[in-house]
Amino acid sequence: MRSTFHSIETAKRSLFTQTAALSTTGHNIANANTEGYSRQVVKMQASLPIEAYGINRSTAPGQLGTGVEFTSIERIREQFLDDQFRGENSSYGSWGIQYDTLDKLEAIINEPSNSGIRKVMDQFWNSFSELSKNPEDPTARKIVKQTAESLTDALNHMDTQLNNLSRDLNSNIEVKAKEIQGYLTSIADLNHTITRIESAGNHANDLRDQRDLMADKLSRIMNITVSEGAGGYNISMGGQSLVEGSAVTAAVDSTFLGAAFAGGDLNSGEVHGMIISRDTLLSDYQSQINTLANTLVNGDVTVKLPAGAMPPAGTILTSDAEVSVSGVTSTVTAGQPIPAGAVLQKDVSTVVQGFNGLHQLGYTMDGSTDPGVPFFTAADGGSVITAGNIRLNQVISDNPDKIATSMRLSSDGNSVIKGNNDMAKLLTTLKDSMFTVPGGSNSSTINGLFSSMVGQLGVQAQETGRQTDNASFLVTQVETRRMSVSGVSLDEEMTNMIKFQHAYSAASRFLTTFDQLLDKLINSTGVVGR
Amino acid sequence: MLRVTSNMMSNQLLQNLNRNARSMNETQIQMSTGMKINKPSDDPVGITYSLRYRGEIASNEQYQKNVDSALSWLGFTDTMMDQAGNVLHRLKEITVQGSTGTNPQSALDSVSQEVLQLKNQLVDIANSRLNGKYVFNGQQYDKAPFDFPNYLDGSIDTSGAYVIQTDHGSVEYLVGENVKIGINVSGNDAFGSGNDNVFVMMDRISHSLLAGDQSAVSDELSNIETSLERILTMRAEVGAKTNRVELIEGRLKDLDLNLSKLQAKTEDADYTELIMRSQIQENVYNASLSAGAKIIQPSLVDFLR
Repeated sequence: MRSTFHSIETAKRSLFTQTAALSTTGHNIANANTEGYSRQVVKMQASLPIEAYGINRSTAPGQLGTGVEFTSIERIREQFLDDQFRGENSSYGSWGIQYDTLDKLEAIINEPSNSGIRKVMDQFWNSFSELSKNPEDPTARKIVKQTAESLTDALNHMDTQLNNLSRDLNSNIEVKAKEIQGYLTSIADLNHTITRIESAGNHANDLRDQRDLMADKLSRIMNITVSEGAGGYNISMGGQSLVEGSAVTAAVDSTFLGAAFAGGDLNSGEVHGMIISRDTLLSDYQSQINTLANTLVNGDVTVKLPAGAMPPAGTILTSDAEVSVSGVTSTVTAGQPIPAGAVLQKDVSTVVQGFNGLHQLGYTMDGSTDPGVPFFTAADGGSVITAGNIRLNQVISDNPDKIATSMRLSSDGNSVIKGNNDMAKLLTTLKDSMFTVPGGSNSSTINGLFSSMVGQLGVQAQETGRQTDNASFLVTQVETRRMSVSGVSLDEEMTNMIKFQHAYSAASRFLTTFDQLLDKLINSTGVVGR
Repeated sequence: MLRVTSNMMSNQLLQNLNRNARSMNETQIQMSTGMKINKPSDDPVGITYSLRYRGEIASNEQYQKNVDSALSWLGFTDTMMDQAGNVLHRLKEITVQGSTGTNPQSALDSVSQEVLQLKNQLVDIANSRLNGKYVFNGQQYDKAPFDFPNYLDGSIDTSGAYVIQTDHGSVEYLVGENVKIGINVSGNDAFGSGNDNVFVMMDRISHSLLAGDQSAVSDELSNIETSLERILTMRAEVGAKTNRVELIEGRLKDLDLNLSKLQAKTEDADYTELIMRSQIQENVYNASLSAGAKIIQPSLVDFLR
């Protein structure tokens, strides 16, 4: 049985519902540019008709509609795309950071250029060539000293820059750890609030958007899996649980991240990229540049000592040498020390330990008949040379006459033949000699070691750049899909607005009509005789 | 059907603009540096070649400098030997004069005087220095090869000349990868040793002249010939070496040209292509800007009243 005012009630419901829809449209428009916002729709439904089946059923035919009501305001979002986005986003995070590191490495290596390591190396070798023409010339000696110092400076500088980069990455990881912890806390808090709100039967749309946005941002930093449980989102990284409902279950710091990386739980995202950058990329180039320095100074290299040379007494050659001592010719077998005053009768090939080993077979020009000192030394006094500790021997730096250029002593053995440039020439030719990497088996020229490193860096940077572009493309793709589903279209909202506005107007008109109906009934009916 | 939202369009536009700007930037970098390889990743294979060419060009430059030094040493040696030859020719002339015909002793004395003067000059030549180096003393070029004492009257005492052994060490310059060339002439090779030594011989001539022993003077003529011959032989050797060094010089210059060409091919940007590309990119950029302006501006809002 319907009441007199039944339709007024129907009109009111309609007005309320259309207003709610209009308000939501306004909310959508307002948030058209809000990051992470997903559009919301009002779910309308015809309200329950009166006259339910039952004993008191009236005899009136049909069910009479009671208008409209909205059951919920829902956000439009596709979970699958969220998961996909987070996966691609992590991958992009990792590649992006690695590319960034390699890009910085390229800047540090600074090739091709006229100021990089290769250039100072050329100058270093050329200065020896120049010295070989004028071994007695103090200027040529000073130039060798300068170029040697330029070389050590360049290596030291590169080492410093690589270390700085490594330190930067370290502190970035710390910062990211704090950021992660911040997101985890926020997500746990949101979990709590959302659960509370939704237990009352509502949809906490905007808070859910915020929580998803947090998860999105977190996914750039590391690989996460998001699952929804009774207490809200559970976030985990590999096998590590990070958030369970309203509780943060992990204390994330750099140690935690390092362990997760080592254990394989952390396998993507910016932090992953940083750890790879630091522990794999950077340390590889650091070790290559260290190897380069150490090989130059200590690596085994075969040189041919010319006939007429007088190796210092006690020198051990790696092949048999025909020598003459005071006019008596004999053969010194490989591995035996050369006696004092011995003059090589034929060219002898022998293996020396790097630039230092060779330099110590020559004689200096400081007035003594002492053989050369180690050309390069380690700043910390050790025997292993690195890019960071390589220095020109202080003795040579103080007195460039200590650079050995001669391999000949006068016949009485009391003075060095200054015009003999055999050592200077041999040192120059090391430029094109094959060095064996200390502790390794591969041989290469020093330039070859350097350019293979640069080549490798090029390939790696190019490949990583491609991967980054790909990952970025995929992220964009998924993001576009997501926008397509969840994004606010102003045209659509406008259309809806008009739709709801018209519905509202029509409901108002319906109310007016019904009002007139009642007016007729109440004020104009049964007034005969008044 | 893909639902297109307002932000999608502006995002897409931004992305396109950014991509276009990026390629424009790359072209700009190449145009401003003139190089197509600006970092290793631009061309990882190219960079290794580039580094090698650069290294080789640097050492080639040094070899060319060394060749220059070698040529200057050889040229100087040749000049000195030429002068020594002239001295010996003059010696031969006056020796012939002193050994033939009837010469009064006073004439022989004055010839002897000239012989001594010529000897002084030859000593100077034999001790000649280039950039402070005695060119006729092998690797001991810091010491004069014919370091004779002077008499009280200032004339040179060459009596010890027959024992002088100049250094036989070869002064070698590097003129290519593992190419060494010896460029010096030993003093003994040029001026003889023992009794063959020119100074010893000149002393003998001078003594014989003073003693009026014309036949002894005449006997020395063949020795003068031998000395001249020696000088000529050495000059021929210096000439041959000069030729060799010049050949090397030519080769180094060719190599330099080749390497520079290869380097340019690997590293240098192609301007024609770059300018074309830059123009195209600019057009594309402008097009996306204007398309963007048209796409973004209107929305339904503009048409509702």
